[in-house]
Amino acid sequence: MKTRFDRRNFIKISSAAGGSLILGMLLPTACKEPEAVATCSFQPHPILKIDNTGKITVYVARQEIGQGVNTSIPMIVAEELDADWKNIAVEIAAYGTMQPGDHDTGGSQSVLLDYEKLRKAGATAKAMLVNAAAAKWKTTATACATEASMVTNSNSKETIAYSELVCDAAKLAVPKDVTLKSPKNYTLIGKATKKSNIKDILTGKAIYGIDVKVPGMVYAVIERCPVLKGKLVKFDDSACKQVGGFIQCVTVASSAAPMHLHAGVAVIANNIWSALQARKVLKVEWDEGTENTDSTEALFTRFAAKSTGKPTYEVFKKGNAPAAQKAATNKIDVTYTAPFLAHGTMEPMNFIAAVTKDSCELWGGLQLPDWATNTIAEDLGIKKEKVKTNLTLMGGGFGRRLHFDYALEAARIAKQIDKPVKLIWDRTDDIRNDTYRPANLHRMQAAWDADGKLQAWQHHHVATSIAIMTDGPEAKNVPEMLGGASSDLWYDVPNVHTGYSHVDFNLQRGWVRAVEICVNTLPVECLIDEIATAQQKEPLAFRLSLLENRPAYETEITKFRQDPNRIANVLKLAAEKIGWSEPRKPNHFMGIAGHHFTFAKAYGAHAIEIELIAPKKFRIVRIVAAVDCGIVINPDGLKNQMEGGTVFALSQALMSEINVENNRVVEDSFFNYKIMHFNEMPPLEIHYVESQEDPGGIGEVGLPTVAPALCNALAAAGSRPRTLPIKKEGFEWV
Amino acid sequence: MPQYKLTVNNKEFTANADAEMPLLWVLRDLLDLTGTKYGCGVASCGACTVLVDDVPVRSCQLQVQNCGSAKITTIEGLSEDGTHPIQQAWEKVSVPQCGYCQAGQIMNVAGLLKKYKQPTEEQINEMMAGNLCRCGTYTRIREAIHSVIEEVNK
Repeated sequence: MKTRFDRRNFIKISSAAGGSLILGMLLPTACKEPEAVATCSFQPHPILKIDNTGKITVYVARQEIGQGVNTSIPMIVAEELDADWKNIAVEIAAYGTMQPGDHDTGGSQSVLLDYEKLRKAGATAKAMLVNAAAAKWKTTATACATEASMVTNSNSKETIAYSELVCDAAKLAVPKDVTLKSPKNYTLIGKATKKSNIKDILTGKAIYGIDVKVPGMVYAVIERCPVLKGKLVKFDDSACKQVGGFIQCVTVASSAAPMHLHAGVAVIANNIWSALQARKVLKVEWDEGTENTDSTEALFTRFAAKSTGKPTYEVFKKGNAPAAQKAATNKIDVTYTAPFLAHGTMEPMNFIAAVTKDSCELWGGLQLPDWATNTIAEDLGIKKEKVKTNLTLMGGGFGRRLHFDYALEAARIAKQIDKPVKLIWDRTDDIRNDTYRPANLHRMQAAWDADGKLQAWQHHHVATSIAIMTDGPEAKNVPEMLGGASSDLWYDVPNVHTGYSHVDFNLQRGWVRAVEICVNTLPVECLIDEIATAQQKEPLAFRLSLLENRPAYETEITKFRQDPNRIANVLKLAAEKIGWSEPRKPNHFMGIAGHHFTFAKAYGAHAIEIELIAPKKFRIVRIVAAVDCGIVINPDGLKNQMEGGTVFALSQALMSEINVENNRVVEDSFFNYKIMHFNEMPPLEIHYVESQEDPGGIGEVGLPTVAPALCNALAAAGSRPRTLPIKKEGFEWV
Repeated sequence: MPQYKLTVNNKEFTANADAEMPLLWVLRDLLDLTGTKYGCGVASCGACTVLVDDVPVRSCQLQVQNCGSAKITTIEGLSEDGTHPIQQAWEKVSVPQCGYCQAGQIMNVAGLLKKYKQPTEEQINEMMAGNLCRCGTYTRIREAIHSVIEEVNK
């Protein structure tokens, strides 16, 4: 399996391609696939079909994982089309009907990448409808106005519905150039809009991967080797045969990059319950190899030892930070750590595969379906064109389904039997075989002169690499995890050194919502707070003094446009809304943090108020988030994402951790892999900056500043945590 | 294999199932009622919540042999067309993100409102504490609960 996926390249290439894929592929497909009552339709772009019943179907290529692309994407099309939102039907774009990469969903990129393309598709269809109306009225297109799926003749005031123009429009040439609206004239974009499938969700009709049924399908669960890189010695399924419904066992070979699998024995039955029961009586002997005695406790000791030396990879160097640090009298040298983390999507991993000698059909949720489809084809020895992938809704993504280990397992099982097979992971499988966010440690050093001016900044990020997981031991992009902390560090410091060191560990790693930006914003936004405190300066004012006078620039390595003033603005907005400058109640303290989510082109901040009840015992009084992600497509979706991101990060700050002993994950359910519960939720409010800038992403922007804002509030209250989750340092919240 | 007669959403169903098969899998795999979701199988998440004689129950923990003649209500049976006041409140507040846990959340609230006409904040917290939402829609769930309490007590 040689198929590679380069996440950084995905983000970069996709960003560059944002507005350029477009109209070359516009083909009118008149009267293609008529609906029951429709007699004409036209599809000026693969994502958009209009028929003469008035139905306008938007085929959403990006995957819906809860982030709301099944609403924001159709809104953008409908805006330029001047369609009545009530006429819009939303469907998942069938895999294979789009260009490579179009289905990929990660890095908060969907709206950011597709904005221009979607606008042009809508505007093109509108132009064709207008041209059809103009021909009918024997007037010019400029004499026609559009609104709510209707064309109006500005001279005669006659009106005609889009539906009545479809048959004529279908015969017209697709215009090469279309005029896009000025964002000032948007009527739908910017209006809070409910999820397009909300009724299906609320009535139980929404079909997720786990709900799909295929005729003749059987069910499988897998008993896996408890450690990665182990091997199967033998298994005995004689007791399974006593379980009603049991069919057979097959082996699942282990696998290395790009998609690691534990060696396993799949238990197949005619229903999931029988498969689960038979698994309980299956006897298996494993050869665990030699990498089966390590622990996270030992790993953090190795991290700490590594952090005192020079980074293996120097990522960014400006000036001479070590010399400036050495020469300075005012300095700080501190360490922050965070544990391995699991995604814990509410819908556990599952997938359906049917494999014949020379073809394969797949059903399920995938955030990167190209990577999964191509790799599975290669693994099965089947031509790519002979693999049909059917994409479904996902009960949560958070980066978990960027990885497709569960799909590869299903395909390998299906290859050995003559029926379609639905593989389901139980929750313990899910918590113990995740693609974990790497554990990480940051040694941070900074120095300043007698005037308080920052002179040196050094950031040594020590972690277990994701790239080595996806690309193998020779991975070239090992130090890629310094987003937000290399050339894109938003504070202006003359001497900066940032570097990365990898420490090996036999556990699967992967991308978890906001990965590196979240991981790096904790040390950056805590260190700046520590420096402000050391200088006896007000932490918000100290930040603003470093951001407000710094002009926008292009970051040296990552080539992102970064505007420190936009960080300053969200910091000020969060501060204003929480009442930062107002007198505080006794024992109430506040912390703040801001950041640029570079590749999502968004700026976010959190301010958190806590009440200290006893030393290290507190309650969160209130959380305020502020965000600037450019023009807001759907304010309701944006708020939902910021709320969700905040809760996700709050779990990480307060309670979530994956511990490993003997290379086995200790946690096995939501009883011990703790995430926020309903009753633990503090009051939360979201504010956003009104903006006309091109849209950025939002799915991950709510995370990075939560933990540092909370740690900064606790520091203001007298005791600074530098380890996540903070319960590890004895902090208690009520 | 034993045969069980079940009353689900006011309809009679017959299921041939292992006596210990949890109601969750009977609903999803045998009766094709996939609105009830599997989340953990050990009652740690609440995604599989249904009403059994108006009491919210984790269907992953109730064996089919113990269902007896109880009236079982799933998300599909809460209303014909999504017009139950809880569903309407959920729509008004625009609660769901991925939506996977929401059937369990809604059925749990249905049970909450069967137990208390006007639940206090403590009663709401106590009843809802076991229903996880990884997308983090808790703030909106609380708002929707208050909205539906107000609506049904008008």
